[in-house]
Amino acid sequence: MMRRKLSLAAAVVTATAISLTACSGGEAPAADLSTVSIMAPFLEAQPPSADGAVQKKLEELTGKDINITWTPNASYEDKTNITLASSEIPHIMVIQGKTPGFVKNAEAGAFWDLTDKLDDYPNLKTTFPDIQQNASINGKVYGVFRGRAPMRAAVMFRQDWLDKLGLEAPKTTEDLYTVAKAFTEQDPDGNGQDDTWGITIPKWGALGSNSPYDLIEEWYGAGNRWTEKDGKLIPSFETEEFLEANRFVKKMVDEKLINPDFATFDGTKWNEPFFNGKGGIIVDVDSRVSVLVNLFKQADPNNYENKVGFVGNLEGPDGELHAHPTDGYSGFLAVPKSSVRTEAELAKVLEVLNTMNGKDVAILLNNGIEGVNFTVEDGKAASIKPETEESKAVTTDIKSYAQLGMNVGGNTFYPVKQPTEYEQQVFDKRTEVMAEDLKSAVYNPAAPYVSATYVSKGAQLDNIVADARIKYLAGQIDEQGLKDAIKLWNTSGGDKVTEEINQLWQDNK
Amino acid sequence: MSQLTDALASNIGHGQGPGTDAGKSSKPRKPPKVPRGKFSVHFAHYKWLYLLLVPGVVYFAVFRYAPMYGVSIAFKDYVPFLGVNGSPWVGTQHFQDFFSNPDFPRLLGNTLILAFLNLGIAFPLTIVLALLLNEVRLSILKRTVQTLVYIPHFLSWTIVASLSFLLFALDFGPLFLFLNNVMGTNIDFLSDPNWFRPLIVLQEIWKNTGWGTIIFLAALATVDQDQYEAAIIDGAGRFRRVWHITLPGIRSTIIVMLILAIGQMLNTGFEQIYLMTNALNRSVADVFDTYVYFVGITQGAYSYSTAVGLFKSLVGIVLIFGTNALAKRFNQSGLF
Repeated sequence: MMRRKLSLAAAVVTATAISLTACSGGEAPAADLSTVSIMAPFLEAQPPSADGAVQKKLEELTGKDINITWTPNASYEDKTNITLASSEIPHIMVIQGKTPGFVKNAEAGAFWDLTDKLDDYPNLKTTFPDIQQNASINGKVYGVFRGRAPMRAAVMFRQDWLDKLGLEAPKTTEDLYTVAKAFTEQDPDGNGQDDTWGITIPKWGALGSNSPYDLIEEWYGAGNRWTEKDGKLIPSFETEEFLEANRFVKKMVDEKLINPDFATFDGTKWNEPFFNGKGGIIVDVDSRVSVLVNLFKQADPNNYENKVGFVGNLEGPDGELHAHPTDGYSGFLAVPKSSVRTEAELAKVLEVLNTMNGKDVAILLNNGIEGVNFTVEDGKAASIKPETEESKAVTTDIKSYAQLGMNVGGNTFYPVKQPTEYEQQVFDKRTEVMAEDLKSAVYNPAAPYVSATYVSKGAQLDNIVADARIKYLAGQIDEQGLKDAIKLWNTSGGDKVTEEINQLWQDNK
Repeated sequence: MSQLTDALASNIGHGQGPGTDAGKSSKPRKPPKVPRGKFSVHFAHYKWLYLLLVPGVVYFAVFRYAPMYGVSIAFKDYVPFLGVNGSPWVGTQHFQDFFSNPDFPRLLGNTLILAFLNLGIAFPLTIVLALLLNEVRLSILKRTVQTLVYIPHFLSWTIVASLSFLLFALDFGPLFLFLNNVMGTNIDFLSDPNWFRPLIVLQEIWKNTGWGTIIFLAALATVDQDQYEAAIIDGAGRFRRVWHITLPGIRSTIIVMLILAIGQMLNTGFEQIYLMTNALNRSVADVFDTYVYFVGITQGAYSYSTAVGLFKSLVGIVLIFGTNALAKRFNQSGLF
């Protein structure tokens, strides 16, 4: 009796143990890699279906079964870390940035070092080596970067208000103040009430996140995250220009030229005050211009032109243009070592990535399927109207599939033909303004460098200054308080970060 | 939470575990036949009881105890790729970092203040509400009110936070306008650090007070009705009856609930606080739970945040045992 019980117990234990090992030992089947698994974020409400037309075409073009795990963008970072700790690791992972979690894993050897490999593949050899360098960890390239237009900063404003008040589009930060003040005080909507303000800024505090604050600081000449001074790199908030820029913003807050709830205003509602005629200026990326134009168009298709005006970067008080570029990439596609074990397997995966970077796949991922949802007119992709069930599905799906696009050799897909003449004009002007501003771009000199101290506590450190900046603007602390916070950044580990960054900068010069 | 469950687990384990306890409990039924001494004989005799025990033991072993193995990363420099076993040991490094961190006193302070506010205001209010409901004689009214006060419990914190944002919105929120009119001020409740804690406690009261009354109402139902009749004959008024009969009648329940609440004290609730935090009130809003999320999940510092979480659990265990011991010292029946 007893013995039988014991053996039963033993059996249960063994069974559990077996099932546990079965979970953890997900050995990838041999090296032929007929199926390539990819983990990618999606920003739409629904992930694309696994048997849609885009998926089929992608498999046809790459000659592989592509198995994509779509993960909601909001929890992507968490999911990346959890996936790396698990045993179900895909062959290719979209990594959204050099987060501490990624850096630690990469330095522990979780991903293949592709520094010397990418140049062997015609479509993976980048024509933007600087951006590839920016996306690297101290010079080591751990993934194929996803290229993004580096110049995106723009100031957009209500053109109708500007015309009504007889003002010029701003060229300098001082002009921005003038326009914001007029929008606040001169009743630009003509309803006889004091119910408008100049600039709308949402809850958005983090340092170096291309926020409106970051842009204005850069325009003032504070630099882009890091700036060179006396042969040494220092964080941009340690410059005098940083303080000047924030004095300028504070002046606008104090004079109520900025929405009073800028510390808590929900960023997803950013367009509303602009559209509803409350706040007349937005400082953000230029693509928002087209979004705003479209908002007005949907509200009134017959009268939407000349509602939205925009300019690019603004000249600072020193009379020079310090345009604010991004680092030129939005994460990268990395290859984990635990799923791709040998050099031979890696070569196969890179082959797939090479195909995905080719023109055909680039068009598929960004434009869709020619003849189904778009046709080519004067080198532009024009969407086919009216939409069919089929074309709609493709158009929806590519919004997610574009996440897989890398375009390290520049955009090889077709630019989108805008639906109306006016929108095409706006689009062309955007392209033109951004190209012009790019010539005056001030890049982040420390972009490729990752300091060990910053990895372990950088976000907490930066929060000290970021929160102090908002508190200063809101009037909770004075300028001395802001300076004290910057000093606290230094003493809590920031000095070490600066030291390490400078070391890396010197070593790689 | 887990330390509480574990404490309960060990308690349950005592009640049904191997040894003499199980023997005692069924002794009255078959006193002469209970074989003592030899374990195998004892086991054979009670095999069905042991079989009943299996699901519980498996549950706690698999879902409560096995994951504790992962706590070891608090003493390691955990890198997901290297796994729990492969990551190098660093001893108490993370604890030292945490205690010497300038954030530590602030986090501890914020957590304790919120915890005591919740315990000192929200907890007694639950009892008061239960007593009030108990005094309602009109059954239909009582049931309606009960249902109404339970409802907020089923709304998620996201909804509660959104409601607060609407009600207190700068310049147009109805409560913003009303309160500022009454007080003659112009306070942005959502970003003013002085108003963060009142808001949090208010939300907690609104959401959970009604739900918390359930256990007290159950306890109130067991109070002997004869005592009330006797008291009425002796001329005791309502408040006297509440004070001398009702409250003593549910005293043990109150103490058990208090011990449980104290054990949970440091769990200030991640979602609620996370949603209400912004750059202007962060100095009072950062608590252990949000800190663990911020450092651990968003920055990938798993080991460090596990150490913080472990510290929090240890404090929880100390609190729960401390209160229990205190309750026993004052001759009350404790939790265990």
